[in-house]
Amino acid sequence: MKVPLAWRILTYDKRRTALALIGIFMAILLVFVELGFFYAVPRGGLLLYDNMKFDLLLASSEYEYQAQPGAFPLGRLDSVRSSPDVQQATPIYFGFAKWKSGEGGMWPDVFLIGFDPASHVFIPDSINRQTGVLERADMVLVDSATRPMFGPLDAGRVVEIGDRKVTIGGQYVLGTGFMGLGVVLASTANFARLFPQRGLNIVNLAAIQLKPGADPDPAAENLRKAVGPDLQVFTRKALEAHETAYWTTRTSVGIIFGSGLLISFVVGIMIVYQIVSTQVGRQLPQFATLKAIGYPDRSLAGTVSAMSLLIVVAGFVPALGAALGLYSVIRQETLLPVAMSEMRLLAVFAAAVAMALISALLSVGGLRRAAPADVF
Amino acid sequence: MARQGSVPLAWRNLVSNKSRLLRSAGGIGFAVLLMLMQLGFEQAFFESAFAVIRGLDGDILLQSVHKYQFATRDPFPRADLDKARNVPGVASARALYADWFNFFWKSPVDGKIFLVRAFGFDPEAPVFSYADVNADRDKLKEPNTVLVDRRARRFLGMDSAATEAELNGAKVKIVGGFALGPDFQSDGTAIMSDRTFASLLRGPAGNPSAVDIGVIKVSEGNDRAAVQQSLRKALPDTIAVFTKPELIEFERKFQAAVSSAGPIFAMGTIVGFVVGMLISYQVTYTDLADQLPQYATLKAMGYRTGYLLRVVFEQAAFNALAGWVPALLLSLLLYYVIGRLALLPLHMTAHVMLVSLGLTLGMCLISAAIAVRRVITADPAEVF
Repeated sequence: MKVPLAWRILTYDKRRTALALIGIFMAILLVFVELGFFYAVPRGGLLLYDNMKFDLLLASSEYEYQAQPGAFPLGRLDSVRSSPDVQQATPIYFGFAKWKSGEGGMWPDVFLIGFDPASHVFIPDSINRQTGVLERADMVLVDSATRPMFGPLDAGRVVEIGDRKVTIGGQYVLGTGFMGLGVVLASTANFARLFPQRGLNIVNLAAIQLKPGADPDPAAENLRKAVGPDLQVFTRKALEAHETAYWTTRTSVGIIFGSGLLISFVVGIMIVYQIVSTQVGRQLPQFATLKAIGYPDRSLAGTVSAMSLLIVVAGFVPALGAALGLYSVIRQETLLPVAMSEMRLLAVFAAAVAMALISALLSVGGLRRAAPADVF
Repeated sequence: MARQGSVPLAWRNLVSNKSRLLRSAGGIGFAVLLMLMQLGFEQAFFESAFAVIRGLDGDILLQSVHKYQFATRDPFPRADLDKARNVPGVASARALYADWFNFFWKSPVDGKIFLVRAFGFDPEAPVFSYADVNADRDKLKEPNTVLVDRRARRFLGMDSAATEAELNGAKVKIVGGFALGPDFQSDGTAIMSDRTFASLLRGPAGNPSAVDIGVIKVSEGNDRAAVQQSLRKALPDTIAVFTKPELIEFERKFQAAVSSAGPIFAMGTIVGFVVGMLISYQVTYTDLADQLPQYATLKAMGYRTGYLLRVVFEQAAFNALAGWVPALLLSLLLYYVIGRLALLPLHMTAHVMLVSLGLTLGMCLISAAIAVRRVITADPAEVF
């Protein structure tokens, strides 16, 4: 009788129930949004890696996170290449320079990535289609998410980067993540022209592709022994864990969205509690009657819990739909890779059920007052 | 016709059922708390970006016209600062050397290396208004000495009792500290003399004769705007001349244009507002439904609808305040705790208080306006 009774109470006053649904919808939506941001930030930090082909990543022992990678001599790659597991080791160069062709005479900083286009180390088709463009002297590709303050990004535009004039050969689609406001891809030869004092002997990272069938974990272990303690070898899994830990624990991201998450959870409880306890209050004589004809407290508490659960589940479904829509808006507006995952969906559902049960627990207190003698 | 307003009806309604008041204050309060946190984070985000500019001890600030944000190196020739010094009305023109990308700090605690922000100035010509920095500036005259930010992120080990660390591979002596805190770009800060700054700076960015920010003080009795005009005339057009508020405004525009902080926190605030509206609608609607016979009685006695409306709106405003006040108190505690944990300048400001109060009253009054249609139509004959 619990669920049908709860259903009847809820559908008796449709207007009030609709209100409850909107409230719980908003609270669950907010939980989704805060959680989305929380995970999107490390995802943004991993954007470049997610778009690169490698099984292992070689970095200096000073590597902190992608934007502070440290550096090591190119010659150290020789020992890596001689390992029996390794198919290809591609050096990756990072550099910052002034983009002296910004809007309004501004010189925004641009992040440059140097690599050998023949290595095809990047996944996006828009890069691999344009390797011929990258090979041309003083021609570069610009990320399509580069901000408007860099001026037009049309192919053929000549811009000054550092002290050198280069031609934009085209755009590619990857995203700027947390690399900077603008990102440029250059061949190693063009990278060396842009940073003449640095040359190509100092490398920031190396993307290692293993031979088919090689297991990354033991291969990484072998490489660690071969390269020594001043270099580190990341498997993809270890790299993801490392970057995520950086963004969630070293920056304010964790606490900002974490506290937002917590408060939206409490707000959700408050809404359901508000609705359910009002209903309990309004139906008090009826509950008292049920008690008088012999229904135990436990059964009435079950009805109240069923009411909360029904409201929350009914609010969850549209909130999930709205969250998916909102995620795509956020992706476009903020360039943050906010996305849904099954784990997060389940976690939010569990949180919603918890909201329902906690608010039911709070409302049941009012039910105890349902003494038949008092009501009549 | 009874005299209107002689009985504080809204107040009596509010306090007649204490547990209901607690419930509605709790519901509205948490929605308000949500708005307060989002507003506070947004404020903290921008404030942390302005912290250093605010800490500069000058009226007018010079920088390269190409410099698009404060936290980037774009130096201009020292000679231009010398020109500025000779402009009438200028009391002092001092140099700040600053870098965000080329100073690597080795933590004295675990020996790990991190990028930090570095500032340099001539200890004889201080540019910061921080009392701690100015008290210790004489100690900076000794080569390779630094002052460190005690509020830097903890993994840098700047808050430890260590007296030595490494910057760019060179041993440096820690001779004092100050409390600035990180921003969304830098984890920590070291302040040193101009000489130490130039000798430690590595890479192609090193150019000790170039200045990042010119810090100008206007001599007493001179009009700031007039001096700013004279400076513009005296200096080449490669130099931008800002008053301090103008430079903060320039930075605010940049941050608002490139960062997602504005929309992210605005969205949280809007959700808080809508949720608060729903809760307060629920509160007002239930209350009106319960008191409908009483309202109808008042009407039958000859009270005008206007009076009844006023009672409903007054009560909605009381409900708003009953939620806002505890939420504000709780947010002060949360600001303090989260500010300490996240090292954010999370402070309650008059702006955040007023905006949140306005939003709270707005959501309660709007929802009361929707719910009140029931009272207007309360027909005494129908109720009994």
